[in-house]
Amino acid sequence: MSEHAWIDRLREVLGPAKVLTNIEDRIAYSYDGTFAQQLPDVAVLPESTEEVAAVVRIAAEYRVPVVPRGMASGLAAASVPFSGGIALSLTRMNRILELDEVNRTVWVEAGIITADLQAYVEARGLFYPPDPSSNKHSTIGGNIACNAGGPRCLKYGVTGDYVMGLTVVLPDGRVLRTGGKAIKNVVGYDLTSLFVGSEGTLGVITEALLKLIAKPQHVRTALAEFPSLDDASRTVNAILAAGVVPATLELMDETAIACIEEAMHLGLPLDVEAMLIIETDGSDDEAVRREMEVVERVCRENGARKVTVAQDEKERAQLWRARRSVSPSLARKAPNKLGEDITVPRSAIPEAIRRIKEISARHGLPIVVFGHAGDGNLHPNILFDKRDPAQWEKVEVMAGEIFGVALDLGGTLSGEHGVGVLKRPYMERALGPVSIDVQRRIKEALDPLNILNPGKVLP
Amino acid sequence: MALVPHPHISEDDYLHCIRCGQCLAVCPTYRLTLNETDSPRARVALLRAVREGLLERPTDRTAAQFFRCLLCGACTFTCPSGVTVDRVLELTRGEMAELGLLPQPLVALNQRIRESHNISAEPPESRLLWAQNLPAPPTGLGKAQAEVVYFVGCVGALFPRSYGIPQSFVQILEGAGVDYALLGAEEWCCGYPLAINGDLEGAREMMRHNLEAVRATGARTLVTTCPSCFHFWKHAYPAALEEDLGLEVRHATEFLADLLEAGRVPLRDDLPEQVVTYHDPCDLGRKSGVFDAPRRILRAIPGVTLVEMAENQGGSHCCGGGGNLESMDPALSQGIAARRIRQAAETGAQVVVSACQQCERTLFNAARAERLRLRVKDIAEIVLEAMRR
Repeated sequence: MSEHAWIDRLREVLGPAKVLTNIEDRIAYSYDGTFAQQLPDVAVLPESTEEVAAVVRIAAEYRVPVVPRGMASGLAAASVPFSGGIALSLTRMNRILELDEVNRTVWVEAGIITADLQAYVEARGLFYPPDPSSNKHSTIGGNIACNAGGPRCLKYGVTGDYVMGLTVVLPDGRVLRTGGKAIKNVVGYDLTSLFVGSEGTLGVITEALLKLIAKPQHVRTALAEFPSLDDASRTVNAILAAGVVPATLELMDETAIACIEEAMHLGLPLDVEAMLIIETDGSDDEAVRREMEVVERVCRENGARKVTVAQDEKERAQLWRARRSVSPSLARKAPNKLGEDITVPRSAIPEAIRRIKEISARHGLPIVVFGHAGDGNLHPNILFDKRDPAQWEKVEVMAGEIFGVALDLGGTLSGEHGVGVLKRPYMERALGPVSIDVQRRIKEALDPLNILNPGKVLP
Repeated sequence: MALVPHPHISEDDYLHCIRCGQCLAVCPTYRLTLNETDSPRARVALLRAVREGLLERPTDRTAAQFFRCLLCGACTFTCPSGVTVDRVLELTRGEMAELGLLPQPLVALNQRIRESHNISAEPPESRLLWAQNLPAPPTGLGKAQAEVVYFVGCVGALFPRSYGIPQSFVQILEGAGVDYALLGAEEWCCGYPLAINGDLEGAREMMRHNLEAVRATGARTLVTTCPSCFHFWKHAYPAALEEDLGLEVRHATEFLADLLEAGRVPLRDDLPEQVVTYHDPCDLGRKSGVFDAPRRILRAIPGVTLVEMAENQGGSHCCGGGGNLESMDPALSQGIAARRIRQAAETGAQVVVSACQQCERTLFNAARAERLRLRVKDIAEIVLEAMRR
């Protein structure tokens, strides 16, 4: 017998093996990809929409918080159970339910790992483009709940652009199905979009119908070195103005380059202010090649000192190594990092980076900047040691100032990580009182008991 | 690097875990149970909770989580922050053992090794049973002096279904004219299982004995078919005994690759075509960096087409036989083996070759349990078959 009647009820419904109450298990379900931590009372491992619905009904009956969770790689503490209650893991719901090659859709359970889904459809010549860098250790359900992005989003769009329908367990335990395979659908409110990016506060996403496209057959990759950050930034706009939409357009500033070089010794230039990684792709090799020629020319015309175009897969991997090494290099440099995720209009990138550097200099803590320049999405990472209370205090101030930079320049708090709890204090400033009021009413309408991921997103 | 000598865990060992979750994608136990508790990230969080007081008093159940792990090192290989998770977990196991929390099956294993000097409580002379049904007694038997010592390891010497490995290896050595000695009854457990079960003193006793026995032969080279013995001899012996061994420690694959390339193992030219995939043993590949030698051997064998599994070399998936998990939780170990053998089957290969008696055994059992028509062989066996005699 456990101390809580509701835990006994969970055991009755799911069977004891899927209800974890030991302290060891509760610790395992107490964190995400941030430094935040709070123990749930129990972790549950349901294997079907029906089981999820049963859990939520019990939670509603006993007024117990439910925090849905995929692989907990999130960077905003959205899946940390700050109010205790039930950590609801969807990782065992990882089946592919249907691949429809004619309509080019795939219907999956929420807990499938994104990279596993991508490998499955790519083996059949199809393509699911959204590529958060966590795609090997995050789930489709988590990607949808945070509307995850990634480098390819400039050309292909974000997760939400590929969600055609959802199965959602509502906070009262009813099962809602939204959308469908019809491409055009204007009947009623767009509830699919309502749940995309809702971070588990409005319902538990258990299944998704996703749009697929044909897999691009050819890809070319270039790395361009810019002595001047302004030139690099101008190049981003010039490439797009020249009519080329690269699959990716990634920027690393001098802080990121120095950080990577220190950790990895890849031979990167330390006397440039920025590097761009640019990729063109498509189904026609000649067109992809021509686009890359335009990219190369535009880079040189706008002040690139050197442009290296990969000639084969091996060289391509080599060029990507720098960009992929950013996170590892950061992690080796300091015990903690706070990775922010602001977006600004593309033209404001140089100004944003200048202001962020000023914040770093003023507070005396390093900030490394890299990101998806093509869509104005920057990842300033503050490096610090949380054991030092003085540093932690500074980090909180610095984060607020970085958000201020984004908002002042006409951008916003988050491009792809989500709000969770970490960005909650800045929501009102970003959205204004009317938007917050509307969103509160939506939350209250769907979750009047406030049991679903309470304390997240909305201030 | 194994844990001997025993530094205690420091904050630096886990501080840089940023909980990104990348280790979940490669951890065989997590991928099987899909329960975060069975992930490297959770094991590090649990260690941290014990150290920092969130979990005040570790129990048997706490300790068990540190032993429900293969120590395969896939997490360490993938960790962006450079946390050496497998080493930290070895240390943690040691601390749990010091607290009297070693799980019962492992207490029994330690006791067996301490008393009998091998993992299965056999009398010492049983270590030579494998040599009995060879056409002729191995020339290395009872040899007092030799250039090379062949360290057979407990599983190869004592598990009848693994006898084929030392039998094949000595026949190749003899065909190549290598001057080698076997330690026979004087070979003891290398100490690895004790070290990862927290019995460091016991491990040191094994090491001292073995080193003396090898030195008595005057050999300059120690070769072993067991990747775990190899890893432990190569990395832990010098550290734990705090001396230069005066020996070159080599795995059988490195030794065989050299013999083949020197033309000392003539190969038949009438061999059938066969598609082969190679399974990297964790202690040989990821933990000791030996990836090429076995592949060079396989490519040298006429008729062999080598195909790779999707997860290979540094990213290889453990066979399920690592970290004493088999003693701790046989069902979990078997589930992991099943996953690996299915990966092998997906390559379309007819034969899975490994270079480890433990991998060979777990994968063989998995192929049977999964009803897959895949032959599982040790690399010494496939070389002997190909050798012109």
